[in-house]
Amino acid sequence: MSSSGKGMTITVGEGSCGIAAGAREIRELLVQRFPEAEFRTVSCLGMCHQEPMVEIANSDGKSYLWGQVNKKNLPKIVRFHRGETEIPEKNFIRSSEQPATDKAQYLQRQHRIALRNVGHLDPTSLDQARARGGYSAITRILQGGMSPEDVIEQAKISNLRGRGGAGFPTATKWGFARGAPGYPKYLICNGDEGDPGAFMDRSLLEGDPHTVLEGMLIAAYAIGASKGYAYIRAEYPLAVDYFGRALVAARQAGLLGDNILGSGFSFDIKIKEGAGAFVCGEETALMASIEGQRGMPRIRPPFPAIEGLFGKPTIINNVETLANLAWIINNGGAAYAAIGTEKSKGTKVFALAGAVARGGLVEVPMGMTVRQVIYDIGGGSASGRPLKGVQLGGPSGGCIPEALFDTLIEYEAINATGAIMGSGGMVVLDSKSCMVDIARYFLEFTQLESCGKCTFCRLGTLRMKELLNKICAGEGTMADIEALERLAPQVKEASLCGLGQTAPNPVLTTLKYFRDEYIAHVEEKRCPGGVCKALITHAIDQSVCTGCSICERYCPVNCITGEKQKGHTWVIDQSVCINCGMCAEVCNPEAVKVQ
Amino acid sequence: MSKESLEAKESLEATVDPALVRKWIEEIGSDSSAAVPLLQAIQREYRYLPRPAMDLVVNQTDITASQLFGVATFYAQFRLKPVGRHLIKVCHGTACHVSGADRVDTALHQILGITDPGEDTASNGSYTVEKVACIGCCSLAPVMLVGDEAVPHLKGADAQRFLQKHARKNQELLPGERKEAGEAIQ
Ligand SMILES: Cc1cc2nc3c(=O)[nH]c(=O)nc-3n(C[C@H](O)[C@H](O)[C@H](O)COP(=O)(O)O)c2cc1C
Ligand code: FES
Repeated sequence: MSSSGKGMTITVGEGSCGIAAGAREIRELLVQRFPEAEFRTVSCLGMCHQEPMVEIANSDGKSYLWGQVNKKNLPKIVRFHRGETEIPEKNFIRSSEQPATDKAQYLQRQHRIALRNVGHLDPTSLDQARARGGYSAITRILQGGMSPEDVIEQAKISNLRGRGGAGFPTATKWGFARGAPGYPKYLICNGDEGDPGAFMDRSLLEGDPHTVLEGMLIAAYAIGASKGYAYIRAEYPLAVDYFGRALVAARQAGLLGDNILGSGFSFDIKIKEGAGAFVCGEETALMASIEGQRGMPRIRPPFPAIEGLFGKPTIINNVETLANLAWIINNGGAAYAAIGTEKSKGTKVFALAGAVARGGLVEVPMGMTVRQVIYDIGGGSASGRPLKGVQLGGPSGGCIPEALFDTLIEYEAINATGAIMGSGGMVVLDSKSCMVDIARYFLEFTQLESCGKCTFCRLGTLRMKELLNKICAGEGTMADIEALERLAPQVKEASLCGLGQTAPNPVLTTLKYFRDEYIAHVEEKRCPGGVCKALITHAIDQSVCTGCSICERYCPVNCITGEKQKGHTWVIDQSVCINCGMCAEVCNPEAVKVQ
Repeated sequence: MSKESLEAKESLEATVDPALVRKWIEEIGSDSSAAVPLLQAIQREYRYLPRPAMDLVVNQTDITASQLFGVATFYAQFRLKPVGRHLIKVCHGTACHVSGADRVDTALHQILGITDPGEDTASNGSYTVEKVACIGCCSLAPVMLVGDEAVPHLKGADAQRFLQKHARKNQELLPGERKEAGEAIQ
């Protein structure tokens, strides 16, 4: 084997998470070690818990996928590829010889349609996208004589429902816009991804922008749109950059702009960067934002399909919805509808995060259970503590308890629990989370993000937040819990848009499934998760403390004192302690106890 | 606030170049749908929205002052106050919240000596700490962005250590930094 790397191919995952975990530094080190190897950059494969990830193919063609590579363990991997040592098991995920390892389960249990290319190509390369079938669907449509009605028909057969949260049948929506009079028509890609705890759309936009772009072409052709916007969150600079480059490349190749592929169909796209407002994910607010106004929703009807952006027929589709379209055209709507359950077809992408061992991007067929996603793919609890529940759908969604983990992933079954499928945020919670705090967190979020147009959304959420703050501070009463239950349906009913209509969901679901925690806060003044600062104390367990004094160094209020290097002498001054928890985080023998 | 720190902050105010603002208007447009992209261009350059730049936009486009200020105050991205020489964004998305974003916040405020809850910039103008809702790296929670660099899997103490290194590299002083035993306290 060559020690200079001749004949080797080294692929480094450089999506946002890979870069955050240090992928660029690792690549530089590898370039030094193997200067003659061929280097490739790909987007994130979605195994975020394994970042940074590197795939190294030797000159004999054998390839190995490595995870959690860092400066310390890299030398071992390098030596292994030089044939000098045994395989470093800790970083080994899979190889061409041994594809089915325990760690590789994460990918094997998935069914990737929307994510089919993510992690397999350089997102800035149109050639690589085409080599993996990119733009074959739009070519088939434009050169194979498919009419817009044929395209809508395939979408109808596929039973694809909007992945942005509402789950509205895509073909139906298109049909309205197709039939609506007015020129020009607009197609908008909704990449605002407002759920704070989700990153499906980011991964698609930055990992496989051409697939999203092709989806926009297909949707635009179906409804007869000539102008498009991609509305992308400003917090995703890499997505904005890569999608922008994809637009330039596609335009140069005649795949975007006037007279696409010589067919007479013309369509062009502009990028609009969001400016940090959750409500702008809502379609009418999003259009107001593109028009340069404050992002305030308006009453529907008229629906955007009839009277949308600048008063013209407009369709807004979510990024993931669009990413499915080329596959559906190439494989037929029936192939898509063959996956899933009776009412929910195809696959759904989730962003798995929180207290789970293996977090990242997960695409599964509808009809899998929540438990299978969390345990079989996610590997269960990260800390070993028991899992308590999972938050689905972000601020509009709800928490479902461990006892309901056998719920099927399909719109109806999830709605029946009081949560929603949502856009795909899935945050796993263990016994150290406080469900009242989670509810308070989301209410604070929606209250801040409410645009203020509807009184119940503006003030009702504020009142609910105040009540939850009171309960978290240990000052709540049973009457406050009742007040929450009274307010929730009022806020739902008296709000114009989805933000207010769904804002009470996190409160309602936690009250339904975790009522005992609310009662513990109110009646016993106790926070079972050990989170609510007013209800906990930090104290040092003298039998465990070694006197290392690290807690003293990091205490922001200087309330820990004792004699250096001596156990049994350290105490926390409760009158000063702010329960920030920094001492517990740094204490190695875990001598700081939370009560 | 001491006189020195007041001066430190005043120096953060940007000097607006009218030619640049005119160039953006030419490139982006002057109708009302240009409001958000124009503000974004201004903020990209100056890292906040200096009043003189906004006045120029109002004077030279069809955008009214009420629309422009309405938009600037509606969206979380826009800042009307100058920002420190380095910007730190602490993620407070769901995944980061449940894994300790709060402690990261406390730790940063402490080491930067920011005690006033209405203040987000260190008195010497070195760092500004902002909250953001999810930067899309939830599996690496808790996360903060220092400039463009994302720092994953943070404990409060890690955030402080990272900042100490960053400050040394960029020749910044951290007002709230506690000196190690043995080091001279000035
Ligand atoms: C408050 C609020 C926020 C929303 N945020 C998003 C979002 O970030 N991304 C998205 O695709 N849809 C979002 N939606 C849903 C959109 O209004 C719309 O239903 C969707 O983009 C339609 O696309 P689809 O049919 O492909 O799902 C949001 C809705 C509401 C009420
Ligand atoms: S919740 Fe912090 S990155 Fe998503």
